Amino acid sequence: MDSLSGYFQNTGVDDRVTSGRRAHKILLVALLLACLLSITIGPVDVSLWLVLQKLATGQSLTNLEHIIFLDIRLPRLITGICVGSALAVSGAVMQGLFRNPLADPGLVGVSAGAGVGAIIAIVMGGFLPVFINNFFGDYLIILSAFLGGWVSAIVLYRIATHNGQTSVATMLLAGIAIGAFAGAISGVLIYIADDKQLRDLTFWGLGSLASATWGKVMGAGPLILISIAIASTLGRGLNGLALGEATAAHIGISTQRLKNIAVCTVAAATGAAVAISGGIGFIGIVVPHLLRKTIGPDHRTLILNSGFLGAIILILSDMISRVITAPSELPIGIVTAVLGAPVFLWILLSKRNASVW
Amino acid sequence: MLFVDQISVSLANTTILDRVEFRALPGEITAVIGPNGSGKSTLMRAMSGDIPYEGNIELNGHNIDTLQPWELATIRAVLPQKSVLAFSFTVSEVVNIGLCNGIGAESNKIIFDALSCVGLLGFSQRQYSELSGGEQQRVQLARVLAQVWKPQESVKPRWIFLDEPVSSLDIAHQIEVMNIAKDYAHSGGGVIAIMHDLNLTSMYADNIAILYQGKKLCQGKPQDVMTDEWLSRAYECDLRVNTSPHPPSMYILPHLAVSRSKSDQ
Amino acid sequence: MLQRCERVSLRVTMLKLAFCLALLTLNNAYADSYSSNSKRVVSIGGSVTEIVYALGEQNRLVARDSTSSYPVEATELPDVGYMRALSPEGVLSIGPGLIIAEEGSGPRETIDLLNEASIPFITIPDTFSREGIIAKVVAVGEALGVQTQAARLSKKINAELTAAEEKSRLYNGVRKKVLFILSTRGGKILASGQNTAADSIIKMAGGINAISEFSGYKPLSDESITVAAPDVIMMMDRGGDHVIANEKLFAKPSISTTPAAKTKSVIRMNGLYLLGFGPRTASAVGDLHTALYPE
Repeated sequence: MDSLSGYFQNTGVDDRVTSGRRAHKILLVALLLACLLSITIGPVDVSLWLVLQKLATGQSLTNLEHIIFLDIRLPRLITGICVGSALAVSGAVMQGLFRNPLADPGLVGVSAGAGVGAIIAIVMGGFLPVFINNFFGDYLIILSAFLGGWVSAIVLYRIATHNGQTSVATMLLAGIAIGAFAGAISGVLIYIADDKQLRDLTFWGLGSLASATWGKVMGAGPLILISIAIASTLGRGLNGLALGEATAAHIGISTQRLKNIAVCTVAAATGAAVAISGGIGFIGIVVPHLLRKTIGPDHRTLILNSGFLGAIILILSDMISRVITAPSELPIGIVTAVLGAPVFLWILLSKRNASVW
Repeated sequence: MLFVDQISVSLANTTILDRVEFRALPGEITAVIGPNGSGKSTLMRAMSGDIPYEGNIELNGHNIDTLQPWELATIRAVLPQKSVLAFSFTVSEVVNIGLCNGIGAESNKIIFDALSCVGLLGFSQRQYSELSGGEQQRVQLARVLAQVWKPQESVKPRWIFLDEPVSSLDIAHQIEVMNIAKDYAHSGGGVIAIMHDLNLTSMYADNIAILYQGKKLCQGKPQDVMTDEWLSRAYECDLRVNTSPHPPSMYILPHLAVSRSKSDQ
Repeated sequence: MLQRCERVSLRVTMLKLAFCLALLTLNNAYADSYSSNSKRVVSIGGSVTEIVYALGEQNRLVARDSTSSYPVEATELPDVGYMRALSPEGVLSIGPGLIIAEEGSGPRETIDLLNEASIPFITIPDTFSREGIIAKVVAVGEALGVQTQAARLSKKINAELTAAEEKSRLYNGVRKKVLFILSTRGGKILASGQNTAADSIIKMAGGINAISEFSGYKPLSDESITVAAPDVIMMMDRGGDHVIANEKLFAKPSISTTPAAKTKSVIRMNGLYLLGFGPRTASAVGDLHTALYPE
């Protein structure tokens, strides 16, 4: 890894910005390769090359080819890109906002709220008027999870904002309180749930890209991409925040506006991601860390690079989860944990001598 | 010009600053001195726009309340007393953070020059967190200088506000920093410095204001303000101003190492 | 009375209806016979797999789910995962011609995709009773096109079950109260109330479910356990964190006050055998009855 860091260093004053930009290109290429791998590798034996030829010459695909590529692998790939990048970018922004390398997107209350939203939809869904159930169908859970995440983030933010000033310390504490409250509500609902509902809940919580559909992609995708685009403009602001809030204001950053935008984008991106794929861990913490170690903490390039790397890791994890125990599937949360925990430990061990992250 | 017009600051029913009026001109170093608790830091925070206050503060003719943070940032830079840094930025990255548009050849040049100014050019790739307290303070000064690099921007002066800039430095670096401030002032910029060290103040300041218990006691040239009476009253102990002929300068020493209140008993 | 022209139009309508129905039935029959001949069958659900083997049709199986643990030969087939978390591509990679799945399999998206791939997906209803088991056998037989064997098997199972239930009913000793504990993980005692598989099997074996206040599996408070005062505790015996040693079980303060703890009465049986509601249920009922009333 030292030689890798060395590769990224040159003699200029802003060499790390250059290496950050270089990383954009490298990661983009890696992402394309990962996409190619993910869409060609799978338990069913179909040839991508053949499919492309058919599409190019206007021939129609066999039913199997159509289902495997267009209905299973492609939506799953795009979901993986959206969710992976959303979680990683949210992690980078949260860590910058809280000036703490252990911050993760869940801190802003989104995961807890999304969980409660999902539970409410699963357990209480039967009490809603029939036309609502028919209209939304399976999307009821997703919508409810997303709304739950949003409501929770807004409540949290309001608690922590006083006289137009947001205290990140209060936000942290309020997050704990709201998490506890959400846990209590969930507990009650779990208690009154029947077995089928409980099982649905367990699977929602485990996190999976297996139920990726075009509908979900169309719903969550644009929101995630817009949030990431906005988040990537927060680079200079988050750099300034690293010097403390007072200094950030002195160098011209509107800190309150920065916090507003940061929380909004994280709530939107994480809410959408958790709603369509359940709880997938580690990406939000490990990806920004890994990048800080290789290309430095400059948020101007870190945020976008986190998006790329998060997408790559989730796509590859999904590929592994589909293939390693075929024909059954390993829950993706397990794969990300198995990949993520050793990397995290390695980062911890190699940083033992450093005083700052 | 910096014009602080009758500002008052209260916190939890305690008055910290009481109708302080204070002026500073570009082209010279204006120092603010006074004992602990006199309100110096609060004055600095009010001038920097950190805390609410009653009254007016004008900088280059603009009321600072009407300026956006980014507008203020183009006119003045603030060196805080203590600096914090999260994450492992390098020295040159820290200096870069202050720049509005921090990427490009011109920015590189400014960073290069700023680091040379503070004598830390060889440190540009070092991790900020690994430096000593004094070195970190000098990096922060480089950042501040980089932010308002040209002391005069189209006829309008730019300002640096320094909050006890030399407290953690050894004497060679103290002199170095004060010389940098003097150069900045002589190039047309404005310098306001909260100072702790009376002798350094008398050596470098062109204009001195003394604060005492939240009020301004006096303001003026060093020879008018640095007198036994004013200083002893402000610092509540018997201070004597002495002069040395070669080189011509003042130095302040306590007459007796006891406070006045004790000597009254 | 209808006028002549009205009678004619009525007749025409009924003919049309009959024609449609015939087409539909023929269609279905054709589809059924097409898939029910399939030699590439995937069975999802432990009891469904057991029934396939009991019908002697195991040679047509190409894969099963993770809950299909009996008979042992079944575990050698490829495993497509947990029945409620099936991966569409995983199932498709087996190249199935027919999928027979216990009610509750999923998720919905997977079933939709399999339908899109034109793979017949037959859902077998799951009810915890003798009639329920018969219905399962008939449905599986229908799906596999072996209705005759299914009828024979269901008759056999019916007889065995009737006999077992009769034996339970004829028992004239004091009925014991049984508490079925699903898990003690996390310090919470998760027990079975009414309307579960455990509840049904207890009743069929001639026991009384100690819990009558709620349905489903719920955590019990210490007082409820003491009030319930079970004579026997029943658990599944599979390995893992659901298993707690007898000593530790009786050491729990809530349990130690029960008659079950005083007589150290614990029954452990294999989960699928006990609760699967399939071909072996009659024997399970008998074993449970004997375990409850050893004399």
